[in-house]
Amino acid sequence: MGAATTAPPATSAVPVPPTPHRGRRGRLARLDVTVSPYLYIAPFFVLFLVTGLFPLLYTGYVALHDWDQIMGRGEFVGLTNFVDILTGRGFWRALANTVSIFLLSSVPQIAAALLIAALLDRNLRARTFWRMGVLLPYVVAPVAVALIFNNLFADRFGLVNLLLETVGLEPVRWHSDRLASHIAIATMVNFRWTGYNALILLAAMQAIPKDLYEQAALDGANAWRSFWSVTVPMLRPTIIFVVITSTIGGLQIFDEPKMYDQYGRGGADQQWQTLTIYLYELGWTRADFGAASAVAVLLFLIIVTFGILNFLLTRRIAHDDGGRR
Amino acid sequence: MRKPGWIVYGLLAAVVLGSMFPLWWSVVVASHDSTVLARDRFPVLPGGNFFRNAATVLDTVPFWRATLNSIIVSTTVSASVVFFSTLAGYAFAKLRFRGSGPLLVFVVATMAVPTQLGVVPLYQVMARLGWTGELTAVIVPGLVTAFGVFWMTQYLRQAVPAELIEAARVDGASMFRTFWHVGLPASRPAASMLFLFTFVATWTNFFWPFIVLGPSNPTLPIALQQLQAAHFVDYSLVLAGAVLGTIPLLVLFVVAGRQLVSGIMQGAVKQ
Amino acid sequence: MNRKTTRYHLLAVGAASSLVLGACGGSGSDADAGDGDSASGGGKDITLTVATFNEFGYEELVKEYMDLNPGIKVEHVKADTADNARAALRNSLGANSGAADIEAIEVDWVTEFKQYPDKFADLSDPEVEGRWIDWKTEAVTLEDGKLIGYGTDIGPEAVCYRADLFEAAGLPTDREEVAELLGDTWEDYFAVGREFIKNSDAAWYDSAGALWQGMINQVDYAYEDADGNVVATTNPEVRSLYDQVLKASVDDELSAGLGQWSADWTSSFQEDEFATMLCPGWMLGVISGNAEGVEGWDVANTFPGGGGNWGGSYLTVPAQGKNIEEATKLAAWLTAPEQQIKAFEAKGTFPSQVEALSSETLLTSTNPFFNDAPTGQIFADRAEAVTMQPHKGPKYFEINSAMNDAITRVDVDGTDDADSSWAKFVEFVESLG
Repeated sequence: MGAATTAPPATSAVPVPPTPHRGRRGRLARLDVTVSPYLYIAPFFVLFLVTGLFPLLYTGYVALHDWDQIMGRGEFVGLTNFVDILTGRGFWRALANTVSIFLLSSVPQIAAALLIAALLDRNLRARTFWRMGVLLPYVVAPVAVALIFNNLFADRFGLVNLLLETVGLEPVRWHSDRLASHIAIATMVNFRWTGYNALILLAAMQAIPKDLYEQAALDGANAWRSFWSVTVPMLRPTIIFVVITSTIGGLQIFDEPKMYDQYGRGGADQQWQTLTIYLYELGWTRADFGAASAVAVLLFLIIVTFGILNFLLTRRIAHDDGGRR
Repeated sequence: MRKPGWIVYGLLAAVVLGSMFPLWWSVVVASHDSTVLARDRFPVLPGGNFFRNAATVLDTVPFWRATLNSIIVSTTVSASVVFFSTLAGYAFAKLRFRGSGPLLVFVVATMAVPTQLGVVPLYQVMARLGWTGELTAVIVPGLVTAFGVFWMTQYLRQAVPAELIEAARVDGASMFRTFWHVGLPASRPAASMLFLFTFVATWTNFFWPFIVLGPSNPTLPIALQQLQAAHFVDYSLVLAGAVLGTIPLLVLFVVAGRQLVSGIMQGAVKQ
Repeated sequence: MNRKTTRYHLLAVGAASSLVLGACGGSGSDADAGDGDSASGGGKDITLTVATFNEFGYEELVKEYMDLNPGIKVEHVKADTADNARAALRNSLGANSGAADIEAIEVDWVTEFKQYPDKFADLSDPEVEGRWIDWKTEAVTLEDGKLIGYGTDIGPEAVCYRADLFEAAGLPTDREEVAELLGDTWEDYFAVGREFIKNSDAAWYDSAGALWQGMINQVDYAYEDADGNVVATTNPEVRSLYDQVLKASVDDELSAGLGQWSADWTSSFQEDEFATMLCPGWMLGVISGNAEGVEGWDVANTFPGGGGNWGGSYLTVPAQGKNIEEATKLAAWLTAPEQQIKAFEAKGTFPSQVEALSSETLLTSTNPFFNDAPTGQIFADRAEAVTMQPHKGPKYFEINSAMNDAITRVDVDGTDDADSSWAKFVEFVESLG
């Protein structure tokens, strides 16, 4: 890759001229070139066929039926499940909660991850220690994290509110207030994933050739400017990766809101009921697999839409070569 | 590069301290007795009860068997994910073939399938195969992940210079040899990270193993959750179990951590 | 399990998919593809699995059974929460495979599982006739006489109270006097509470939701009538109880507004937040654990509105199992009076077996944390006071969850008043169709 080119990545794929052999060896070599790529990606697709595609198609099929979790298929009902869900209150409320928690967690998380990665990219002492340190939250058993956050964000005797009251502020209703509950859950999500994303970004930062920075320094760029004009553009594929995986993961958020109170149903007024919890409620509490599958299909479409939007947006931002904020 | 100042260290120290807190707190609670949380909600200093709690954990749950199962599952899944993802990522990033763009988009789109609902049809597949209760039911679905393929693709785009591949090809190396001698070494830093991430994710995975493995053949999180099966939960025991279950990961951390650092420092262009 | 080649597996999956897609949802009686060594007993070694949750007290009993029956291996597994146990059981019933040989079910799920009688083996047997309290057995008996579960424990309810807070507020503290004081009806109980809070900083009870649990379990047909029609929103009894409990809790300020099982509720035991609590036998361990170091807890032998039961379970034998006969034997043995007494000694699970209720071990047991109250005798009396098991239809679980949410919105969160919260409840119930 030429330094500082921001050509679209696809062009870095290698057109491999098949070495001009004659006869059988030549044919084999040609075959090697054409077939190899497909062989390399085959394992994923074969496995996906069984463990991914079948469940997906099955979900679509179930969504078109009246389907009880235990008794199985009932009547074919066409799009009735979808109509019921789109005209009810639960779905839209869950969608709003999901998007709100997603924004509260993804945006600060990626910004913080970039910052931490930039810090870790410096010439540190005890490098391993710092790197592993930021990844610790990813390793801690979920039960410990849930316990701690339930103790931190309890409305009446929680540590956060005790501290707020100590400094003379009003306690926050972390569970009954909709936005406050979203902030608390986003905090749990950020705690778990920020270090993880920071390391992913760091790995890519390490691969940036040092002479680019030297070049930027010669051009009189300060640290901030070279970060925007060198680091960010060079990190583009990785930033796209982080944004897309955070989007996909964030819109399917399940564990944190489920562990946020004693019932795991998303609050008495559904104030933090996310789409996956809503789906779980329909399928496992109400045994209505038709409706649950319809929600799953809708969620799939929403995630794909968001993913495409994000991809386009990130590409734009990463294309900007700094200076403008 | 300039030497980082105390501001950098200060910020990092704050981040790391915050990150360590839950683990530290788990150790503290695990070293007291069942009533510690009732007495003071955030105990700060460890007590002397950890080994007694640990012994109780080993007595109540099939800890060793579950640990062995977890090691088997996590190691197999991680090694397999790394190998197949690198292979596929290399193809997507560095080789030209018809349909590679749409196929990659498809791979990423598969991540958008909500996992909660896939559980039921997948369970039925496993039931038909007679794998319910077997480790294969947990291993096989994870052998290669869209996440891994996507990650390796994005990394290898930058990490493997095209001229290296061309050089190898001109020398008459076959496609696979080129991959083996150029692609694989370049992918090492990303591969060790992928291994670590996959290992941790598999190790802590709860819902699917809980549903499909059942009683007699548990992985560690499923064995440990039996410690919570009570009306009044003894959290010093639960967290003692959690700490015991985290130790193997920490060991892996130290080992992989060195790997990570040296891998990253090696730079990409190396054979 | 023999290892086959991957290729064969792919074929199998292909075939399986078409089978699942084509033949799913029938009676599901086609054999599952487990590894088939389906000899039942007959001198052959077999393994039986028992799946429970919370506390059944079976750890030692399982070992004892294996000693008594060489050739039978019993594996006991516990889920961490009842909800997870329910989800796993529903999955395996849906897929017709993967269930344990014996699956424990909670009393609140009985009706939903009664909808699938074919999924469970019939356990009726002259041998065990009359073993349990009548209402315990009635709940798991189908119209055609099929019995799908053996009763394990019950949750007869008394009132636990803080004698020290009573004393500070000028009320009697002795357990007989307190039982007398609390009277017989909910209104009596609330009236004492209104007196109490005038002279105390503490609330009268922990939460409106906990009270609701006690009240609704005394209504025969609360949410669904005998013909299975949903009447939750039109049944005047439901609405009047709802108004009564919220008036007492919020307007009269008798409730501490702590959602049961929340982190706040758990912490509150250390904070003198409330003076009484409705408590089934299994709640004693929760109180003594959370209230560690707090002195003054005691148990009064009374319950507002007559007897009340909260909780208790059954053992079922899923029909998909391979050793139904042996599993039934084991379930019968585990739920026999003498074994249930051992379970009671181990974990305090209160027996549902008639004979066990008059056992000396049970009647003489006391609880040191509760001022040495004769808890065995008290709860045996409380079990006797329970005369009926409310009828719970297939939608009970969801509707009651929604009702709990409705009460929580008013009592704990304060996001709604009684009327607006009721309107949301109505909307939800109507959406169930």
